[in-house]
Amino acid sequence: MPRQGQSVESCILTEWKVKPGDSVSEGDVLAVIETDKASFDLESTASGTVLELFWEADDDVPVLANVLAIGEEGENVDEFRPDNGAPPSPEPTSSSGDQAVSQSPVTDAQTAPDSSPPQVVANEITAGGVSAGVSPRARKLAFRHGLDPETLEGSGPNGRVIERDIEAVISGRPRLSASAVNQARKGMEPPVRGKGLAGMALASDMREPGAIEGAKVESVKGIRKLVAERMIQSLQTSAQLTLNAHFELSAAQAYRKERVDGGKSKVSINDLIAYAQIQALSAHPELNAHFLGDRFAVFEKVHLGIAVDSPRGLMVPVVKDASDLSLEALSAEIKKLAIACREGTIQPDDLSGGSCTLTNLGMLGVSTFTPVLNVPEVAILGVGGIELKPKRTEAGDIEYAEFLPLSLTIDHQAVDGAPAARFLQTLVSLLEENPGQPLSINKE
Amino acid sequence: MKYDFAVIGAGPAGYIAAKKAASAGKKVLLVEKSKLGGVCLNEGCVPSKTLLQAAKTYHHAKHGSIFGVESEGVTFNYPKAHEHKNNVMNKMRDGIAGLMKKYKVDVIEGEANLLPNSQVEISGEIHEATDILLCTGSSPAIPPIPGVELDHVVDSTGILERESLPKHLVVVGGGVIGCEFACMHASVGVPVTVLEAMPEICPNLDSEVSASLREGLTKKGVTFKLGAKVESISSDNVTYSDESGSNELEADLVLVATGRRPNVKNLGLEDLGLDIDDRGGVRVDARGATNIPGLWAAGDVTGQAWLAHAASRMAEVVVNNITGRKDHMRYDSMPAVVYTSPEVAVVGLTKEEAEERGIKVKVGRIPMAINARYIAENPDETGFCKVVLEADTRKLLGVHMVGGACSEMIFGATAMLETELREEEIEEIVFPHPTTSEIIKDVFMAVR
Repeated sequence: MPRQGQSVESCILTEWKVKPGDSVSEGDVLAVIETDKASFDLESTASGTVLELFWEADDDVPVLANVLAIGEEGENVDEFRPDNGAPPSPEPTSSSGDQAVSQSPVTDAQTAPDSSPPQVVANEITAGGVSAGVSPRARKLAFRHGLDPETLEGSGPNGRVIERDIEAVISGRPRLSASAVNQARKGMEPPVRGKGLAGMALASDMREPGAIEGAKVESVKGIRKLVAERMIQSLQTSAQLTLNAHFELSAAQAYRKERVDGGKSKVSINDLIAYAQIQALSAHPELNAHFLGDRFAVFEKVHLGIAVDSPRGLMVPVVKDASDLSLEALSAEIKKLAIACREGTIQPDDLSGGSCTLTNLGMLGVSTFTPVLNVPEVAILGVGGIELKPKRTEAGDIEYAEFLPLSLTIDHQAVDGAPAARFLQTLVSLLEENPGQPLSINKE
Repeated sequence: MKYDFAVIGAGPAGYIAAKKAASAGKKVLLVEKSKLGGVCLNEGCVPSKTLLQAAKTYHHAKHGSIFGVESEGVTFNYPKAHEHKNNVMNKMRDGIAGLMKKYKVDVIEGEANLLPNSQVEISGEIHEATDILLCTGSSPAIPPIPGVELDHVVDSTGILERESLPKHLVVVGGGVIGCEFACMHASVGVPVTVLEAMPEICPNLDSEVSASLREGLTKKGVTFKLGAKVESISSDNVTYSDESGSNELEADLVLVATGRRPNVKNLGLEDLGLDIDDRGGVRVDARGATNIPGLWAAGDVTGQAWLAHAASRMAEVVVNNITGRKDHMRYDSMPAVVYTSPEVAVVGLTKEEAEERGIKVKVGRIPMAINARYIAENPDETGFCKVVLEADTRKLLGVHMVGGACSEMIFGATAMLETELREEEIEEIVFPHPTTSEIIKDVFMAVR
């Protein structure tokens, strides 16, 4: 398990992409892993046959531990097993007696040296079908209906599963077709009413447990899980307030044209907004801060997070020490980080350490929106789409001009509305009067 | 009058719906512009099967020598066969009328005109119903062939009204209806030629089934011209073109059996904004509901299935939904039969249909000639039984049969499909011996 950044001690292995017996080459994706910031593909550093997976999906794997063994078929992998008592393979050892018994004694001894003999005996009893917990009549009835009696809570003496427990389950579900019973034996569940004769459940009606009619159900993992946790945490732990303003685009557009005419590198409107945000934050440091409940952390420099729509979901790479960068360097850095996110090559350390964030949905046709704080940051700036609005010229006439909406969400626990509004004023004046210029020029 | 349920059309959808709704306590109106029983009873299934049985009886009488039954001077009295046909129809119509009376269904003879707000106008009188079922059936679709308007050119309705046999019958269209009339006429010695534009007859059936049916009917004396496009009809000839060029056939009777179209005209449907699909059928969901609340449709008027028993089932589904029982159509287990000799009976998916849906299948096929009862009773007929199974689960997906009276045993296969039986379960079902139905059990040994 590679170390994903300085602060990461362990990673969740969310999904295996290989199974024992697969042949893999160097660079093949073996598994998907995630830190508390993002998820990544774990690539193979060797070629050969997958001999054994040392962890199950969703295990928390310490960094630098072996995750699997790749070699030649038949090779002994004992010496590579992580020595922390983790299960030797992703097979759950307790669910099926047959599987557990068929494992070699060597394996059992390896994983559970203290308890292996009694464990084997217990498994043999289960495999023989005389487990004390289920009555023979209940077991027979359960089999006919494709139910696993071991998963039920019994109402008989000492919690023994008896016939009426099975009947209770059956009465709550439709009749199953012969093929549906077969599916039930594999752990699938019927809906309340099937699509067959008089509501009989057909094989095509059977669903994985937890399925929802008319929907494809997937477990939440990877980046989605992280985003979900961060978002709800954000809304539950902060007092969010959004302020809206517009800035006229003509100066920024003229500046871009001037750069191109002067043979300088191209910058985007988004780059100009990011640059202005950094300048404005330097003038209003109370918004370049983290709110930590009983403490503020006001940052000396601006570390600007940029929300990026990647194929894996929302990612927020951070331009470190952004306030030290020229416009050109900032533009290049934003571009580099966005590409790394989209291509999945972003480094975990680049996904943390932000002091304030910029998010732009204008190019997707959104007029304005309410950004959600990237807590513990106290401010996030959103950019919407170009709007044509009337304005009054110096001569007093009304004419149309292009404007961009800005929406600033603050944590009202840390910042009040007025200072936030003053920050927006600074930002708008920078963008309307001297886009692409450092703050010092504006102050003069 | 105000009704709970008004049914427009008294065919196999309409009278079944009326009876079922009335027996559930609904106040029901049944409207029919012609005769109770619809096309099925008066112009389709019932009269054609009566005449087919007459032809079969003649054929057996004439060809009994293989059983040691020798006869001379056997004749076919067509007017007598007609009389039997008419008697059967009258009996069945009386039966329906009696049934409607028993269930206190109001029957009105007249043309219905649907109005907004769940109202129906019949002969100037306006009735109201909470739910209305449209089941006005279908009519023969007549292609624009020059000469199609001549007196000796008939559709399936017209041919049933004729009281004498033709000298030369030409059938335009080798579908189910064309094959049944071709078989009937050939069985009583009328030279019959079937002109089919497609490369095979009954193209909706499993291709092996179609080919086997064609061979069986050829043995009965039917001539088939495949890939034949009819160009014109004159008073004594039919001109068609095929690969060999333009050809002429002598014919004193021409049956045009090129399909049917839903009856959606002159019902006021246009003004209601009823959703009609590209093929002219009333669009319904799996429950039979149209896009207009309270207006339902069943049977041929929906342009689906084109089968009397499908129409009856659609009607049941509608009534179940109206009376609070959830139900919906399952076309994958809708049996279909061609009442020729040999008969064709199929239910479920063909191999090709299953594969189109991405299902991996196994197919088994055995000739009917391995079955003792079959060769005892049908010494000169071929035929086969074919099953399609899902490869990994061995679940039955389709049964396709040609031979004998296989229409009488297809319901067994339908029940197997409806309950999703697998080979494993079917193996444990006992089939009486000796019966032709054993073929459905035996075919599994040929699955590979």
